[in-house]
Amino acid sequence: MPIKTVSFEIRRQASPDAPAVWESFELEWRPGMNVISAMMEIAANPRTRDGRETTPITYDSNCLEEICGSCAMRINGRARMACSALIGNLEQPIKLEPLSKFPLIRDLQVDRSVLFQNLMAVKAWVPIDGTYDLGAGPRVFPQQQEANYPLSNCISCCCCMEVCPQFNESTGFVGAATIAQVKLFNNHPTGRVLKEERLRALAGDGGVQECGYAQNCVEICPKGIPLTNAISDVGREVVVQKAKDWLRG
Amino acid sequence: MATAQQPAAPSVNRGVQPLRAGQGYSFVWRKLHSLSGIVPIGAFLIEHIVSNFEALKGPAAYAEQVRFLNSLPLVRVLEWAFIFLPLIYHGVYGVYLWLRGQSNVVYYPWAGNWMYVAQRYTGLIAFAYIIQHVLRQRFMGVSLPEHPGAAFHKVQVELQNPWMLAVYVIAMLAVCWHFAYGVWLFAAKWGITPGETARRRFGWVCVVGGVFLAVMGLAGIWAFVGPKYQNAPEDVKPAVTLSAPDMPGFSPASRAFLLKADS
Repeated sequence: MPIKTVSFEIRRQASPDAPAVWESFELEWRPGMNVISAMMEIAANPRTRDGRETTPITYDSNCLEEICGSCAMRINGRARMACSALIGNLEQPIKLEPLSKFPLIRDLQVDRSVLFQNLMAVKAWVPIDGTYDLGAGPRVFPQQQEANYPLSNCISCCCCMEVCPQFNESTGFVGAATIAQVKLFNNHPTGRVLKEERLRALAGDGGVQECGYAQNCVEICPKGIPLTNAISDVGREVVVQKAKDWLRG
Repeated sequence: MATAQQPAAPSVNRGVQPLRAGQGYSFVWRKLHSLSGIVPIGAFLIEHIVSNFEALKGPAAYAEQVRFLNSLPLVRVLEWAFIFLPLIYHGVYGVYLWLRGQSNVVYYPWAGNWMYVAQRYTGLIAFAYIIQHVLRQRFMGVSLPEHPGAAFHKVQVELQNPWMLAVYVIAMLAVCWHFAYGVWLFAAKWGITPGETARRRFGWVCVVGGVFLAVMGLAGIWAFVGPKYQNAPEDVKPAVTLSAPDMPGFSPASRAFLLKADS
């Protein structure tokens, strides 16, 4: 009986300015295999399908349980987490490509620091630093906790930005993830102190107004975050904030 | 030579720039674009389709409708401030927005993504149509503000060309689609419908509203090409309106009589 195999087409690029090439790999099928475990096998024996020796594939990954957000890549054309992409559910040959909208470092590894710069630009944190003990934080009611929990699930994978038609170099759109974090931290009783600053930041160029509501973000989000609801809510609050700012001078 | 050799600029993906917090005015322009689609442009679209519906009552009634609209105070100012300028802005900025988007419906063929694309194509059809429509019907040929009686004939001649009729029908459908989805988008993006259920329900409201407008609009077109008013005279006298001075001793009975006498 022939051995059941799995075939891969992987887009590789040695450096940011090197030409991109495709390499094919064929591996023995194992039960429960996922894209990351397949690439680990390739790393153990880096040979292409036709037996040519090559280098292990470079990619980001960490937790392998869809919670760290590192291993986002395009699998058969769609952005998703490689660790939760089970081989059994994928059409072969499995095509692996890096995310297309982020500066490429090597192979499947990209630089997603724009998300962290965006989170910093909107102050997506709860400011609790002080020179003395601030005491216990205010109480968060269970209803509010329920509303916030889904937003807190964001793993910064950047899939929502990758699939957004408005997230590109000409708009410089901030993307759904950051907007959802603005909602999360504005909902927090202590984080709320920065609410106005966050909303004003989101009215800058590339802010929430660039959203075209294609709703790809909410379709692709591996954590099921209600991103379109967040864009809607934050969009309204930014309008209200800007209106108040103009009327108050 | 000791000059340093300039390396060829590599075609490296520099990535998307981060948010420019507190910089620029795109927020105002973008929101103005969104709002202008509802008021005044959307409001005018409804008015226009409702007015055209008068054509079903015949050339005289249509002439009266045109006369009435052109008798509004400061009508030329209204026309520029609430129709032409907003249309030019909405159209030109809309094309600019389209050029900056990067559609990926090939890879992600989801309903919302298709609608995103459709909103751009219907917008372009609408804009191209409106340019020729305004030029040919408002600024070329018989000037209707001065000759409201010639309105029916002018439109009828235009629609006698089957190609032009096709353009009008396609544009009517594109405009109603663009407006209906535009209202839905407005509610979603301005935070009027922030919930999934609310957006779904409001989606049905927009579908019904859009279909209603399209049917009304197509009925208006039918008035000019249907058998009832073929070969309308080049100029007609606007039908007499039922205003107070015309109707001393107004009563339901006299009103019914006058309406009957009118037809």
